[in-house]
Amino acid sequence: MSAGVEQLSARIDAPVARRLARLRRFDRTGLIITIGTLALAIVWAFPLYWAVITTFKHEYETVKPGLRLWPEQFTFENYAQVLVHTKIGIWYVNSIITSTAVTVLVIIMAAGAGYAISQLEFPGRRVFWWMILASFMVPIPALIVTHYIVLSQLKLINTLAGVVGPQLIAPVTVIIYKQFFDSVPKDFREAAVIDGANDWQLLFRIYLPMNWGITTALAIITFIGAWNLFLWPFLAVSSEDKMNITVGITQVHDAFGVHYARDLAVAMLAALPVALVYLMFQRRVTQAIMLSAGIKG
Amino acid sequence: MSAGAEAPGPAPHVELRRVSKRYGAVTVIADLSLAVEKGSFTALLGPSGCGKSTLLRMIAGLEEITTGQCFIGGLDVTETPPAKRRVAMVFQSYALYPHMTVRENIAFSLSIAGASRKVQNARALEVAHILQLEALLDRRPAELSGGQRQRVAIGRALVREPEVFLFDEPLSNLDAKLRVQMRVELAKLHAALKTTMIYVTHDQIEAMTLADRIVVLDRGNIAQVGSPLELYNHPANKFVAAFIGSPGMNFFEVKLDRIEAGAAQVVAPGGGVARARLRAGAADGQLELGVRPEHLAILPFERADAPLKGKIAIVERLGNATLVHVDTPAGLLVVEAKGDVAAAPGAEVGLALDEAQTHLFGADGAAL
Repeated sequence: MSAGVEQLSARIDAPVARRLARLRRFDRTGLIITIGTLALAIVWAFPLYWAVITTFKHEYETVKPGLRLWPEQFTFENYAQVLVHTKIGIWYVNSIITSTAVTVLVIIMAAGAGYAISQLEFPGRRVFWWMILASFMVPIPALIVTHYIVLSQLKLINTLAGVVGPQLIAPVTVIIYKQFFDSVPKDFREAAVIDGANDWQLLFRIYLPMNWGITTALAIITFIGAWNLFLWPFLAVSSEDKMNITVGITQVHDAFGVHYARDLAVAMLAALPVALVYLMFQRRVTQAIMLSAGIKG
Repeated sequence: MSAGAEAPGPAPHVELRRVSKRYGAVTVIADLSLAVEKGSFTALLGPSGCGKSTLLRMIAGLEEITTGQCFIGGLDVTETPPAKRRVAMVFQSYALYPHMTVRENIAFSLSIAGASRKVQNARALEVAHILQLEALLDRRPAELSGGQRQRVAIGRALVREPEVFLFDEPLSNLDAKLRVQMRVELAKLHAALKTTMIYVTHDQIEAMTLADRIVVLDRGNIAQVGSPLELYNHPANKFVAAFIGSPGMNFFEVKLDRIEAGAAQVVAPGGGVARARLRAGAADGQLELGVRPEHLAILPFERADAPLKGKIAIVERLGNATLVHVDTPAGLLVVEAKGDVAAAPGAEVGLALDEAQTHLFGADGAAL
């Protein structure tokens, strides 16, 4: 009888053992992948860590030979110096004004254009649509000289309006809106039309609220893009009082020479709002990036 | 309500005068005239693609009329925008705005019209009371069942106090049980409001149970207009006869033998002789005989007077009735027998026709 039991247990154990062996193999592979991913994450995050930690070091420590992963002595003097001796407050305000203006205007104009192309019948609609599609095939830096000439003729150089203007060209946002408005079932429009809604009411009371998620995502990504933009604000503005934070930080370097800890402190301050926005709206930002990536192909 | 020229009656509430709808070279509605009486419940019935929804959308103003005119309450509204036609429409998909609560959905038209918040709330509450939606006023459509959504859609139409209600297959998204329940609620609503209602459906049971007049459409033309029983008992043509009734009417070709005393003696496939009602008084040659399943009776096979004989192919027991499919020389015929009828597949039987309930159709499909 015991032989029978052994045979039976062997029959049962064999597949279990095979499964365990498979699991062990799988675990080993998983472990290697995890370690590899972790290593890559460290390589990616290290510069950020290094930058943050450097801002809390004394300047002399930053140029000392050797790798120091932690400050010998913690200090906030770099932040204090930047906050007290530069116009970072004005640059912040300028960045907030221009980024908010760009976000609001881009969303309103793109939603309007997307709605018109998607829902209205008017002569030249197809041409208009092709123009928008064609416009994002031209890289913005290629237009920068033209933008400068136009804005200079409009006497908008060295103004916040001048910083905002060229950033309002956002064909991808129009395309995303058009696609979303196309997907709204026709019945919603017709029900509202029978109820007496005009096109403005249709856009602002039906189409936009029904696509609120996408509007939030696009607004966040537009805001981050406008906040981080450097080249155009750098060219359009020379007066320190009209600078954005991204342009302003170059002034710190120019005014005081190379001071790694302080330069990095101002860079941290510049990046802080965007990092906060990202952390708060992570899901929406990812959604918007995926949407625009899908369109850019 | 009438189609085309008819004896003068009360002024129609909704009237389509020789309307056509064309999409490029395709004609969906051709030269159609229709008049709907005030307070009536009219069903536009027909198979998919017959133009019934297009017709409704033309009345609503959502579809442009290519030629012809549309009148509502005696006014020519052919060029009037939908919002000014005093009509309200309930869509198949309900079209409830997902970002609004039930209250906001119901009051949407009032808010568009600029009514105060107080008026909007009062009217929404009033309508919610009629439709028993009070407890759901602060929910969003996603939190409602199919039947509740349907009621909200009706509420949204109701709040506008329209002259004409237009329904575009409003029950087709509901399950069978809920559909029956909603049918009763719609009938009650019509009885209470007495407002003109035009109802599009492809479901003949819905049309028969709800409407007091049915317009049967076939490829953009009116096949027949009449009361449910008129259409059922006196179909004007084979299309209507086949479309109305479930299970459908049986058809088979017969040869005219002779006509006597308002009835035709015909020879059925297999040689059996049957008598059929003849309304037109004239017929010749090859005809088609139509008989509803409940007007066929099963006889013993030996009965010499059975005009058709065959073998039972399938027996479907429905409880209150039994559908017996009999394979005959005239084709597979369905007989609706009593629920407890003794019938078994393979058995040979004879079939008798109720002469008074037979329908003869000519080669062009018109009833004779």
